[in-house]
Amino acid sequence: MRTILKKLLQIPSVSGREARLGEYIAGEMQPYFDTVETDALGNVLCRKRGEGKKLLFCAHMDEIGFIVTFIEEDGYLRCAPVGGIDFHAAAYSKVVFENGRYGVLIPEEGTKPEDYKGDAFVVDIGAKSREAASCLVKVGDCFALESSMVSLAGGRICGHPLDDKLGCAILMSAAGDAASFQNDITFVFSVQEEVGLRGARTAAFQAEPDFGIAVDVTLTGDTKGAKPMAVSLGKGAAIKLQDKSVICDGYLAEKMARIAEEKGISYQKEILTAGGSDTAALQLAGAGCRAGCVSIPLRYCHSGVEMADSKDIQACRDLICAIAQTKF
Amino acid sequence: MKQNWTTLSLLEELSCTFGPSGCEEAVADTIRAHIAMYCDEILPDPMGGVLARIRGTGAAVPGPVAPRRLMLSCHMDEVGFMVRSITEEGLLKIASMCGSDTRVLAGRRVWVGSAASQVRGVFGVKPLHLIKSEDRDNALDIDELYVDIGAESRQAAEEMVHVGDFGTFESDFISFGMDDGYIKGKALDDRLGCAVLCSVMRQVYEREICPCCDLYFAFTCREELGISGARTAAYKIDPDYAIVFEATAAGDISGTSEYRQVARLGMGGAVSLMDRSTIYDRPFTDWILQTAREENIPCQIKQYVSGGNDAAHIHKSRTGVRCAAISAPARYIHTASNVVAKKDIVSIEQLAMAVINRLCGEKK
Repeated sequence: MRTILKKLLQIPSVSGREARLGEYIAGEMQPYFDTVETDALGNVLCRKRGEGKKLLFCAHMDEIGFIVTFIEEDGYLRCAPVGGIDFHAAAYSKVVFENGRYGVLIPEEGTKPEDYKGDAFVVDIGAKSREAASCLVKVGDCFALESSMVSLAGGRICGHPLDDKLGCAILMSAAGDAASFQNDITFVFSVQEEVGLRGARTAAFQAEPDFGIAVDVTLTGDTKGAKPMAVSLGKGAAIKLQDKSVICDGYLAEKMARIAEEKGISYQKEILTAGGSDTAALQLAGAGCRAGCVSIPLRYCHSGVEMADSKDIQACRDLICAIAQTKF
Repeated sequence: MKQNWTTLSLLEELSCTFGPSGCEEAVADTIRAHIAMYCDEILPDPMGGVLARIRGTGAAVPGPVAPRRLMLSCHMDEVGFMVRSITEEGLLKIASMCGSDTRVLAGRRVWVGSAASQVRGVFGVKPLHLIKSEDRDNALDIDELYVDIGAESRQAAEEMVHVGDFGTFESDFISFGMDDGYIKGKALDDRLGCAVLCSVMRQVYEREICPCCDLYFAFTCREELGISGARTAAYKIDPDYAIVFEATAAGDISGTSEYRQVARLGMGGAVSLMDRSTIYDRPFTDWILQTAREENIPCQIKQYVSGGNDAAHIHKSRTGVRCAAISAPARYIHTASNVVAKKDIVSIEQLAMAVINRLCGEKK
């Protein structure tokens, strides 16, 4: 799993620019599925045909980042956030462009922290003029904070962007057990989640699942000063009941919890009061489906130092396999 | 059937037509009258849009961008308001239906009514000496504005208009400026797109251009409300590629930093990479930019991430649609006087034709 995750972290995939990552994942998934296809928006749909209900699992490939909007006379770049960027967490960071170029994201001198937003920031790529900068990057190029991953005490990992490459890695790892899956199974690696759950919607329209299960990260209630939330790092896979975008299907959530109990997989119930997930898009696509989400507890989400626990990651993988192996 | 029109004369007619969001019938009628003979079929649309189809030959499209069905989309509606109530004194209180800035409304002439008939009115405000000094710097709340239609009482007003009637600016369409190169009028967002697409349809017909794929020209409703008629149009048409023809706010005016100008007048259509509701398909967009370069058609990349358009709904339709957007740079958008450069209209029309030409097979 760690090897897969490391590989995913190396391939940049800012929302709208997931093609390279999609191509890699599609290639890796080929052996495990009957069909692997990429749709008009770039979602990768992997299907293993089977008897009975159609189950769809969906993790998003895209990560938050930035897009270059303008190149100044003096070689600085102007940019806009792509997805929910917290400029306090991103200020003074090293950033990487799709072509491997580096730069640094800097607020204009004298900007007060409360005014930290897109227009107050520039990227310095070391270019001395517009001409020099234009040879290196173009308007429309995307970039993100430099990816990283380190191991911490107690089997915890810290890095970026674990949201939601962790979910993708879990699905890719679970695909190894595809031979044992019951039901008609589709794994979707979706695009543009961070900008409004856009990809999952068209993917689910195509797949027409009976049950749609997102695999994404969730916040935790065990950080300093956190809002009350019954999810902690290390306490197992989180079964989502609701977030700001969705109220999950009660039958499906209950069924997932029962499966976890039967298989002895540690789990916790998740009620997230901020943020949405592809679950909402799955639920409402086409004629709709019963939707739920297996969430990976994650501290410091959308920062350069997102933190997860290996035990939770394993529990999520086990739960997903157990669900896919249970006749629906 | 209308004949002997030019893009500009049609734009003038469309600009002067009454068509706020939700009341687009008059605009739709005008468009139908201009394009009926240039298409194979007009699909019924319960939302009120005009969805016209030009059949393709079905031959393989040469080149990397090979649509099965290409949707060319623009919206017919303009910013406007609805009559919410009528006061004792015969004044109209209104509900805004768009992102119109109340500061641009005071003192403006308006039309109020339905698609069939309208009466004149003006936006009234309290005289300056009656406004508290602390309020003088603030934009007016929509609740404080009213429309005066020259009625002496509620009863008199009710004989002229009804609650639920629509309203828009009354504004002349005129050419002005250097070499008469600019035009000003209301609703150029997005009647300009409508006029260009009508003209494109006629060119395809008159020049006997045979595209390989089906072309669907969608003139949609209610874009300004965000409740896009493009959503249902795209569902019905089921395209795999779409281009939205729009007008975008040009900020090339004094006091705007260069990086926030979005688009500049006279530099050609502004091609979008990303806005607040869509990330445009990059290979398709690059192909359009390359087409413009190769044909020497002016165009620019829309700078800054702002606004949104019908692509928001189109690209998420069904199993997904590869979308691009080409916008005319327009100053003072959403006011009574939008200003655009005539040469941008020419450039955008040329670019649309160049795109269609590249979707044709070998010439016979």
